[in-house]
Parts: sequence; structure tokens; C-alpha cells
Amino acid sequence: MASPDTDAALIARVVVNDDRHAFAELVRRHQSTVRACLRKLTAGNHALADDLAQETFVLAWRNLKSFRQEARFSTWLYRIATNCWLADARKRKEELLGDTDTEIADDEGRDDSAAAGDFSRDAALKMDLEKAMRVLSDGERAAIVQCYHNDLTHEEAAYVLGLPVGTVKTHVLRGKQKLKAQLGAWQQ
Amino acid sequence: MNASDTHGSDDWLEAALRVDADSHAHAYIDDAGFTAKVMGALPPAMEPVPRWRKPVVVAMWGVAAAGACVAMPQFAIDVGREAFALLVAQRVSIPTIGVALAVLGFGTWSAAAYALRND
Repeated sequence: MASPDTDAALIARVVVNDDRHAFAELVRRHQSTVRACLRKLTAGNHALADDLAQETFVLAWRNLKSFRQEARFSTWLYRIATNCWLADARKRKEELLGDTDTEIADDEGRDDSAAAGDFSRDAALKMDLEKAMRVLSDGERAAIVQCYHNDLTHEEAAYVLGLPVGTVKTHVLRGKQKLKAQLGAWQQ
Repeated sequence: MNASDTHGSDDWLEAALRVDADSHAHAYIDDAGFTAKVMGALPPAMEPVPRWRKPVVVAMWGVAAAGACVAMPQFAIDVGREAFALLVAQRVSIPTIGVALAVLGFGTWSAAAYALRND
């Protein structure tokens, strides 16, 4: 059985031969991670995340010739996805920042978890964490998602976000401080 | 995990983020037609240039040049004669002829490259 083509081989086929089958294979390979990343960035708005993911891959197709393989292909896709999300977030600023002043009530998570019955503590914390992520600024949320959820180094996150490494570290630190304040009830 | 700027009191938050990140990493999102949707949204493919196009273009230019010479022999001779007379009348040096030939060659090759371009 032939071994599957590497990303680099598929990219070469797309660039040299305009091979759409090769690009479809790249989309199939990376759609899950890109959509998951955008779902995190959009705070769980799946429809918006999928629209942005589609935009991401169309932009990737148009700009694949400019991909110099300085970073992994997935990291390059995260960069495009994050830029798409930031551009969209600027348009939807009011919507995205709508809930920033809302503290997560101590009993809110408890009620949710109680209603669900068999929700584990982790699942309840995960839900509260997702809500808490909404209070972060765009930069802080993007930095947390890239460094934790996409498991990138600070340097890779800096490439994805187009920011200096120091700024990424600051965003992560501030983001965690805000999360800590929002999720204070879980500290005990 | 790469973002481990932890303080002792932040361990619970680190753990929470780690649990969330782990579940994120292991949650595969089914394609469910997504790839097909993306492929449908791509700009339409350009018509590929057929292999026979280049030789046909070259042959047509050749036929046109030969046809012009056959149809207007006197004109071609007159133009050649006038050009030669003009050239002879000039006080030209070998380097000038070299430059003229280079310019002529460059022009010819540029025109050929333009005529035979892919798109």
C-alpha cells in the first residue's frame, strides 16, 4: 500500500499542476483543527466558525504560491484563520464584547451542572471556562487559544498572530489573570 | 503545553486549561461535506493550454511571413534594399552593429516569448 503524500508533496502538486484533488486532500486533513481553532476563537459559534474556516481555505488556495514553508502548513493555516477571525471580529465588535461586564455568577455553573445531572466537575469547569473566555480581549483570547489549544510555542503563536513574542506572552499572562478572576469560585 | 508561565497559585487554572486543551485536541470534527463546500467555493479553474497550441502558433507565424514574402516580393526586396542603403550610408562601427543586432535579437525573442506565453 502506498504511503500517503506529505503536506509538502500535496502543496507542490497544487502549486505546480493546479491540482484540486491534492488541495481537497489538504482540506480534509486540516479541516478539523482549523474549525476547532475557530470554534474556540468564536466562543463556540459553530456556524460562524465554519464560515470563517471556509474563507480560510479559499484564501489558502489563492495564496499557496506565497507559502514559503518557513512554518508548518497547519501553523500557516492558523495564521490565515486568525486573521479572518480578527477581521470579522472588528466588524462584529459590539456583538463580541456584549457580555464583557458579566461576571459569571458563582451559582450559574453549579445550576448548569446540577441540571445536567451527571456532568462531571471537569465538564462544568469546561463550560465556565468557555464563558470566561468571552471576557478576554481579541488578542488575549487568540494568544490563549494558540498557546494552549493549538499547542504552539510562543514563537509560533507570535508568527500566527503577527505580534512580537513579548506581546504574546503579555496577552497570555493578562488573559490568565482575567480567567482567574472570572473563575475564582473554582479556585477552592 | 507551551504556555507555562505559572505561579504556584495558578496551578488549578493551568490544569483547567490543560483539560480543556486536551479535549479540544482529541475532538475530531467530522468533515460532513465541509471539504466539498470549500472546493465548490474555490475560483473556477483556468482552461489548460492544449499541447498543440505552441507548434500551431509557430507554424502560423511562419506561414504568414512566407506568404508576405511571396505575395509582395518587390516590397520585401525594396524594404531590404532601402534598409541596406540606410545602413551603408551610416557611419557605423562594429560595436554599433553589435548593439543593433543585440537589440534586434532581444526584440525578436521578446515577441516570440510573448506569442508563446502559456496564459
